[in-house]
Amino acid sequence: MTHARFLLQTLRFHWRANLAVVLGVATATAVVAGALVVGDSVRGSLRDLTLVRLGRIDHALQSPRFFREDLAGELAARPGFADHFSATAPAIVLPASLERRLPTADAPVVTRAGRVNLYALDDRLWQLLQHGDCAAPVGNQVLLSQRLAAQLECAPGDDVLLIVELPSAIPRDSLLGERDETSRQLPLKVKAVLPESSGAGRLGLQPDQQLPQNAMVSLSTLQAALGIEARRPTRRQPTAGSARVNALFVANRDPAADLDLAAARTDAEHLTAELQQAWRPADFNTRVVADPQRAYVSIESERMILDPLIVAAAERVAAAWGVAASPVSAYLANELFRVTDASSYSMYSIVAGVAPEIFARAAPLPFGRFDFVGEPPAAPLGEGGLAAGGPGEIILNAWLAEDLHASTGDLVGMKFHLVGSHGELPEEQRQFRVVGVVTMNAAAADRGLTPEVPGITDVDSLADWDQPFPMKMTRITNRDEMYWTRYKATPKAFVSLKSAELLWNSHYGQMTSLRVARPPAEHAPAAAGRFASDLARALNPADLGLAFRPVRAQGLAASAGTTDFGGLFIGFSLFLVLSATILIGLLFRLGLERRVGDVGLLLAVGFSFPRVRRLLLAEAWLIVLTGAALGAAAAVGYAWLMIYGLKTWWIGAIGTRFLDLHVQAGSLLVGCLIAIGVGIGAIAYGLRGLGRLPVRGLLLGLSQPPQTPGQQQRRGRRAGRVAQIAALAAVALTVAGMSGRLGSQEAFAGFSWRIISFFVMGIAALVAGLAAFAAWIDSDRAPAVRGRGAGGLLRLGIRNSARHRARSVLTVGLIAAATFLIVAIAAGHRNPAVEEPRRDSGNGGFTLVGESSAPVLADLNTAAGREKLDLVDPHSATVLQPVTQIVSFTVNPGENASCLNIYQTSQPTILGVPREMIARGGFKFADTPGVNPWVTLEQGAEGEPIPVLGDMNTLQYSLHVGLGAVLEIRDEQNQPVKVRVAGMLDGSVFQGVLLMDARRFEQLFPSRVGSRYFLVDVPSARAREVADLLESKLPGFDAEPVAARLADFLAVQNTYLSTFQALGGLGLLLGTIGLATVMLRNVLERRGELALLRAIGFRNSGLAWLVLAENSFLLGCGLAVGSAAALLAMLPQLLSTGADCPWKSVAAILGTVFVVGASAALLAVATAIRTPLLATLRAES
Amino acid sequence: MPDTPDLELRGVCKTFPAAGGALDILRGVDLNLRRGEDLAVMGPSGSGKSTLLYIVGGLDRPTAGRVSILGQDPFSLSEAALARFRNSQIGFVFQEHYLLPQCTVLENVLLPRLAAAGADDSAALRAVQLLDRVGLAHRVAHRPAELSGGERQRVAICRALMNEPPVLLADEPTGNLDHASARAIGSLLLELSHEQNTMLIVVTHSSELAARFSHRAELADGRLVERAAGAV
Repeated sequence: MTHARFLLQTLRFHWRANLAVVLGVATATAVVAGALVVGDSVRGSLRDLTLVRLGRIDHALQSPRFFREDLAGELAARPGFADHFSATAPAIVLPASLERRLPTADAPVVTRAGRVNLYALDDRLWQLLQHGDCAAPVGNQVLLSQRLAAQLECAPGDDVLLIVELPSAIPRDSLLGERDETSRQLPLKVKAVLPESSGAGRLGLQPDQQLPQNAMVSLSTLQAALGIEARRPTRRQPTAGSARVNALFVANRDPAADLDLAAARTDAEHLTAELQQAWRPADFNTRVVADPQRAYVSIESERMILDPLIVAAAERVAAAWGVAASPVSAYLANELFRVTDASSYSMYSIVAGVAPEIFARAAPLPFGRFDFVGEPPAAPLGEGGLAAGGPGEIILNAWLAEDLHASTGDLVGMKFHLVGSHGELPEEQRQFRVVGVVTMNAAAADRGLTPEVPGITDVDSLADWDQPFPMKMTRITNRDEMYWTRYKATPKAFVSLKSAELLWNSHYGQMTSLRVARPPAEHAPAAAGRFASDLARALNPADLGLAFRPVRAQGLAASAGTTDFGGLFIGFSLFLVLSATILIGLLFRLGLERRVGDVGLLLAVGFSFPRVRRLLLAEAWLIVLTGAALGAAAAVGYAWLMIYGLKTWWIGAIGTRFLDLHVQAGSLLVGCLIAIGVGIGAIAYGLRGLGRLPVRGLLLGLSQPPQTPGQQQRRGRRAGRVAQIAALAAVALTVAGMSGRLGSQEAFAGFSWRIISFFVMGIAALVAGLAAFAAWIDSDRAPAVRGRGAGGLLRLGIRNSARHRARSVLTVGLIAAATFLIVAIAAGHRNPAVEEPRRDSGNGGFTLVGESSAPVLADLNTAAGREKLDLVDPHSATVLQPVTQIVSFTVNPGENASCLNIYQTSQPTILGVPREMIARGGFKFADTPGVNPWVTLEQGAEGEPIPVLGDMNTLQYSLHVGLGAVLEIRDEQNQPVKVRVAGMLDGSVFQGVLLMDARRFEQLFPSRVGSRYFLVDVPSARAREVADLLESKLPGFDAEPVAARLADFLAVQNTYLSTFQALGGLGLLLGTIGLATVMLRNVLERRGELALLRAIGFRNSGLAWLVLAENSFLLGCGLAVGSAAALLAMLPQLLSTGADCPWKSVAAILGTVFVVGASAALLAVATAIRTPLLATLRAES
Repeated sequence: MPDTPDLELRGVCKTFPAAGGALDILRGVDLNLRRGEDLAVMGPSGSGKSTLLYIVGGLDRPTAGRVSILGQDPFSLSEAALARFRNSQIGFVFQEHYLLPQCTVLENVLLPRLAAAGADDSAALRAVQLLDRVGLAHRVAHRPAELSGGERQRVAICRALMNEPPVLLADEPTGNLDHASARAIGSLLLELSHEQNTMLIVVTHSSELAARFSHRAELADGRLVERAAGAV
C-alpha cells in the first residue's frame, strides 16, 4: 500500500462528504471565475458595440465651427493621405429635437424627443456605416433609430418635424448676432426605422452603450434648410461659396490598423497636420480681402470679430513679409449726438477703434493718408478720461461733424448697446471730446474699415437692414440715409484701440479686421491670395477646434469601462463566495469530525500530526482541484446567467441588450486560483486545533477540546464583553452617522468614510449579536427539562443548540451575515419620486429639468425675456405665474459621465453656472465646506485650476477623482485646461456633468452661446403645465420632472442593489444548505438519543418538534441578529427622505429562508426516525 | 550490569482539571516489566486504567513521574520522534477496533508500515503471515464492514504487531465481544506476545481474562496494587 493508494481509497470511501465539499468549491469557483468572465464579457461587448457603432470610421473631426464641405475632398487629395487612409466623409452633426403631431378631434397630440443626435450625411458617410440594405436618406427623408422611433411613436411613412439650431456665423451673444431666429424647423417623412442591431442606428462619437436617439437626414437637404448650401456667384456675392459642414469622418486604409490608442493618436495628429496644409481661411471663417486701390489686404472674419489667434497668426505672417499691419475694431453706435445740443445727432454709425499712429503723416501704410479739417491733433489719439468714467477722445469725419455741428474741442455723446448674458442689450452712453475732424477723402472714406456683414453692410438702405436688435427707425434722418447710400458702413468716427477695448471688448476678441500693407511689387489680389495661403499654414487647426480624434481607438480604450464589472460582480457575489467558503469549511469539518477516530488511529500507530495533516491536506487539494475544475465549467454558465440578467432583469444597470459572453481562459484560471486559495484556506482553518486534541480524545470521537465548566464560564464572560464593546461601537457609529459627523470624503480606494462606517457599524452589530449568542450558549443554566408538551420540548430543543457551540455560532453567523446583506441592501433603495422639492436635497428645490437643442438667449425670468420668447400671452402668463425661478445654464456637450454610461469617460459635459444660481445656492453637498459651496466656483485666481462642482457619483465612479482633485479637460480650442473639484454634490440631478462658473465657461467655450439646460422652481402640482408650455413655445425644448431624472440615475443604483440582493439571496440559500447540513449531522449524531426518547414514550411528532425548535431557534437568531444589525447600520438612510425599502419582498425572502431551513430540519429528523428503534438503540449501546 | 526492566514507570501521576477542582487519577504509579512478560490491569471504571495505558503508549503525558521504555523516556522526544517511537516500539489494541473502513483487512494491518518505512512486498508478506496466524488469511481482501467483531479485533491485533513492537498494549480488547470470541482473543494476545517476545499489558474488567496472565494488578485510589505474586 502506498500513500497515493491510501489517499485515493480514502477519497473514494468518503465520496459523499467529499462530493459536498467539491460542490462547495465548484460554487466558489463558478462565482469568482464567473464574475471575472462577466467583466470580460462587458469589456468585450463594449468593444463590439464600439466597432459596430462606428463602422469603418476611424477618425472624426467635429467642430462648433462650420467649414467648407470641399475640404473633405481636398484633404483626401493630399499626397500621403492614401498611404494611411481610404476615405473622407463630410457631414453635419448637431443636437436636435423631433416632434410628431397627430391630429385628433380635440387638439393635436404631440410626441417629442429631445436630445436627438442629428446626422446630415450623404453616400460618402453612409458607405462607412453598417446599415444593412437601407439606403442613405435623400430629399425630405429621415431615418430614425429604433429608440427615437419608439419615443416618437412613429413608423415609416409618418411625418415628423425636425427642430435644429440655425448656425450663426456671428456669435449670438455679440451685438450683430442673430438672436431672434435661433432654430429652423424642417418637415420630414420617416423613410425607415433603423433596427437596434444596425450600426447606423447606434452611430455615436461619444462612447456610450445606451441606444442613442439618432436621426439621419440628407446632407444637402439640411444644408439648404440652414442656408449653408453651396452658393453660386451673384451680384451681391460675386464669389462662389462651398457648402458647409461641421464634421469630417475618415476611414483607415487598413481596418485593423489604429486599434492601439497611441498609434491612432499619431495618425489623428498626422491627419490634422494634413488638414493644416489643405484648409483655407474660409474654413476658419476668415476672409482675406484685397483693396487694389488702397494697396492693402484686410483680414476679416465672417464671425464679425477676429479670433485673437487669427490676429496673432496674421501679424506673424505680416512680420515675416516685412510689411506693416494694423488692427481695426469697428462697432455700431446707436446714436452719436452733440452733448450741448441733443437735436444734433446721427443714427447707427460705425465707430472704428484704430491705432493712434495711423493718423500720423509719417506712417501712411497700411491705411493711407488721413486729411484733417484744419490742423491735425497735436497729440496722438488717446483715451482721455474714459477709464475713470470721464470723456474719451474721438476723431469725427467731416460728415458727422457737420451733422452734429461739432468741431475740435466739442463734447459728443455716444449711445451703444452692450450684450448681456441673456442676450439683453442694455444701452450705454459715454462722452468724447473731439480732438480732430478728418475730411471725407483718402483713408477716411475707406469702406473696408468695416468688415462685410451680410444683411447689413451689403444692403442699399438703413431701412433694409436685417435688424440685429429693435432699431429706432423713426429717428433715422435723411442725412443718415444719404450717408449710407454714399459711404455705406464707412466709419463716421475713430477712437483709439484702447478706448475700443474699454468700451466694447468681448470674450471673442476685439478686432474686426487686420489691415496689412501690400508688398510694393505685388498686386493686391495676388498678395491677398498668397497671404491667405500663408495665414492658413500659420494656424494650427487644432487651436481653432478642428482636430481629428481617433474615435475608434478612443472607444476601444474606453471599453475598458468606467466600472470594472469583474470586480463589481465579485463584490456582488462576495457573500456568495463567503457562504461557499464557510460551507466548504463547514462541510469539510463535518466530514472530518466523522473521521476523527481515524485521525486518532493514525496518530496511535505512529503517524506524526504534521504527516496526518499533510495527508488530509493532500486529500483536500484533490477535492478542491476537482471542485475548481468543475467550477470553471460552471463559471461559464454562471457568467451566462449574469449576462442574461444584465440584459433582462437588471437592464437598468447598463441599459443595453448588446452583451455577449466573452470567455477568456486567463479569467477562468484566475477565478480557479482564487477559489482554490479560498477552499484550501477554509479547509486549513477547519483543521486548526485538531493537533491539540489528545489522541485518546480523537479516538473517542472528540473534535474539540472538552471544556470544564469554569473554562466555559470564562469563555462566556469573554464573549459577553466582546458583545458589549461591539454593541457600544455600533451604537456610537450610528449616532455619529445620524448627527452628520461622518464624512463622505474618500477614505481609500474610492470608498468614502460613510460607506466604511456603514460596514464597520454593520460588522460591529453582527459581532455584538453573535458574541451575545455565544455568551448565552456558555452561560445558559436554565433548567432544560421542565414543563410539558410543546413548551417543554421547545425548551429542550433550544438547549440542544448549545451542544456544539462552534457549529451553532457558525450557522447563526452564516444566516445573520446573509440576512444583514439582504436587509441592508433593501434599506438602501431610494425613490426620488417621493422626495419633495427641497433646497438642501438632490433636487435643489427644483421640480423640472429642461434641455434645449436650440440655444435660448433670453432670460426666462424677466418680462422682457419672456416677451422675446413669445411667453407673454394670457395663457402663458397664467401658466408661468407660479414659477419662482428658472435657472439657465450654458452647455458644452461632452461624454455622458453619469452612471448611465459604463464606458470610461474623460471629457464630461460642462455646464456654465449663472451668477443667480451661485447666489441662490442649494442642493445637498458631501463633505464640501461652506454654507453655500456654489460660491467656490467664483474663487481661484488667474492661472490656477478652475474650480468646478460635480456629483459625487460622477466624480468617484466615472471620473475616479475626489474633492480637491485636479483634472484636465479640453477647451474649445482643444487646449488642455486644469480644473479643480471644489465641491461634491450628493445624489443630485447634476450627475454626469461638471459645473463651472459661467464667466469662466465663456472663456473656455466662447462659441457655446445661449442656455440649453434649465432648472425650474415651480410647485409640483403645476410642473406639468409649465413643461407643456415651454415645450410648445420654445423650439427644441424638452422638460421632465427632476424626480424622473433622478429616478433614472437611481434606477442604476437600485438595479445594482437588486443584483446584489439577488446574489445575496443565493448566498443565503447556501447558508440555509449549510444549516440543513449541520442539522442533519446533529440529528444523525443523536440518533441514539432520539431513539431513547422514542423508547421512553415520545412520539415522532414530538421529536420533529424538538429538532424543529432547535433549528428554528438557530434560524431565528441568525435572521434576528442580521436584520437588527442591518437596520441599525442603515438607520441614517432609513430616516432620510426618499428611502423606499421594499419591506414586503425582504420579508418574503427571509420568510422563504425560514421555511426552507425549517423544512431541512424536518427532513433531517425524518431521516433519523426512519431507522428502526431497536436497531438504533443497539447500535448506540 | 544491573538488571534494569525494559519498561519502567516511577511515580507516574495524572491530574485532570474538573469543575470542583483538579481530579487526581493516577497518584504515583510504579511499574516494572521485561520483554516476554505480561500484565493484566484491573480496576473499577474511572480508576485510570486506560489513562495508564495511554501514558505507557506515549499517547498521553503524565502530570508527574517518569516513564522509560527500553531505556528511553518517550516524553523527552519531539513530537515527530515520539510518533516514530510509537510506531516502532508500541502496539496498541483498543476496545473499539478502529479499523479504517476504506481499507482492506491487509491494508489495515499494513497501516503502521505506511507510517514508517513504507508498505513494500516484504511488509505485505509479514501482514499476510500475521493474518494467517490469527486465522484470517482468507479475509485479506475483505473490508472491515464484512467482518465480525472478533475478526475485526484479530485484525487490530495483527496491526498492533505489524512493526514487531517490544510493547503491546490492549485496552479492554474483549469488552465488545461475546464470551467465546473474548476467550479466543485473550489467548491470541498471550500467544502472540510470547511468540513475538513483547511486553503485554492488558486493561480489562474480565477476571477470567486476567487470570490467564502471569502478572495481575489492580488500580485502586490512583495506585497500582499487585494482586498476586509476580514481578509487580
